[in-house]
Amino acid sequence: MAKESTTIDVGEPSTVTKSASHVEVDEKKKKGFVAAAAGGGYKRGLAIFDFLLRLAAIGITIGASSVMFTAEETLPFFTQFLQFQAGYDDFPTFQFFVISIAIVASYLVLSLPFSIVTIVRPLAVAPRLILLISDTVILTLTTAAAGAAAAIVYLAHNGNSNTNWLPICQQFGDFCQATSTAVVAASISVVFFVLLIVISAIALKRH
Amino acid sequence: MKNESTIIDVPAESRSAMKGSAPLIGEARDHTTSGSSGYKRGLSIFDFLLRLAAIIAASVAAGTMFTSDETLPFFTQFLQFQAGYDDLPTFQFFVIAMSMISGYLVLSLPFSVVTIVRPLATAPRLLLLVLDTAVMAFNMAAASSAAAIAYLAHNGNQNTNWLPICQQFEDFCQKTSGAVVSSFVSVVFFVILVVLSGVALKRH
Repeated sequence: MAKESTTIDVGEPSTVTKSASHVEVDEKKKKGFVAAAAGGGYKRGLAIFDFLLRLAAIGITIGASSVMFTAEETLPFFTQFLQFQAGYDDFPTFQFFVISIAIVASYLVLSLPFSIVTIVRPLAVAPRLILLISDTVILTLTTAAAGAAAAIVYLAHNGNSNTNWLPICQQFGDFCQATSTAVVAASISVVFFVLLIVISAIALKRH
Repeated sequence: MKNESTIIDVPAESRSAMKGSAPLIGEARDHTTSGSSGYKRGLSIFDFLLRLAAIIAASVAAGTMFTSDETLPFFTQFLQFQAGYDDLPTFQFFVIAMSMISGYLVLSLPFSVVTIVRPLATAPRLLLLVLDTAVMAFNMAAASSAAAIAYLAHNGNQNTNWLPICQQFEDFCQKTSGAVVSSFVSVVFFVILVVLSGVALKRH
């Protein structure tokens, strides 16, 4: 049990211990801040990517809803069995599509402040969890609208010989094109929502 | 700026003593995290049970739609006297999709068991969350497209001269509507599963 003695030179005199401890505290704070920034660095990057995805999704959903809303066509001649006008309000499924995609677009606009909060405070859990839960619910609404409209668009293109449902796209070409574009845009927004949910989950992960 | 010198006694067996006292830090860490692993294990058990319920919902949907054949006893001029799920491509997609979703749920059960056994591991939960989100969107697409066709079968569309077929094929319509409802129930289960995984991933 031989004791060893070491001589350590203390640089600052004892009268300035207050400033010395203050320097230590500042260094600790700096280290803590660096640690937080390192943990929050990639989370902040994810939050910025989340914000940009939301902006893109807003553009696409507004585009999908407005394209479907303005998808009217009037044929110049009169046929015996079909109306000579086609619009989104002739199909309850397309009405549902316009309304629900509009709701999705307004939800995205309302969720932008939460996304900004996750950028400013990357380590906060509550905003991300709120965004994850509401994004999941809105994902189901978007997919429902896109899927139902896709089924009707498929029928309009191909018809069904077993149930004697005739395809209407042969007469209403422009109407069919516009509705198909709207359905494709809504499907792209579904992909964006899946990405948003995955980003929120990765950012929520503990180290 | 006078330099002051201090003499500090360093005991010789300091290293071995520190080795002996190191495990205390490790024990303290375990103690602080056991509280969070308790409720996360509870969430994992609930997740497992929800998966079992979703397997039942998805397979019931696929089976009901698959066996929804109906043959009418008489012959009509315009409509076929047989109706089955394979007469409508959307229903074919529905059956295939719900079968794939049931298969995915069965394959995801081991991962759910892993999250029960290791509640603090994030990799299985993150994998389950990502896959569940994608499969939920797939499920909702199948359910909603089949719902649109079922709505048409019930009500028809005057503007496009699409006649409702449910007036002739009542049993077929009933079974397909039941299958659609069952798949919507499965979607609800998936939503809860995704939210559960998100909450369980949360750091403390």
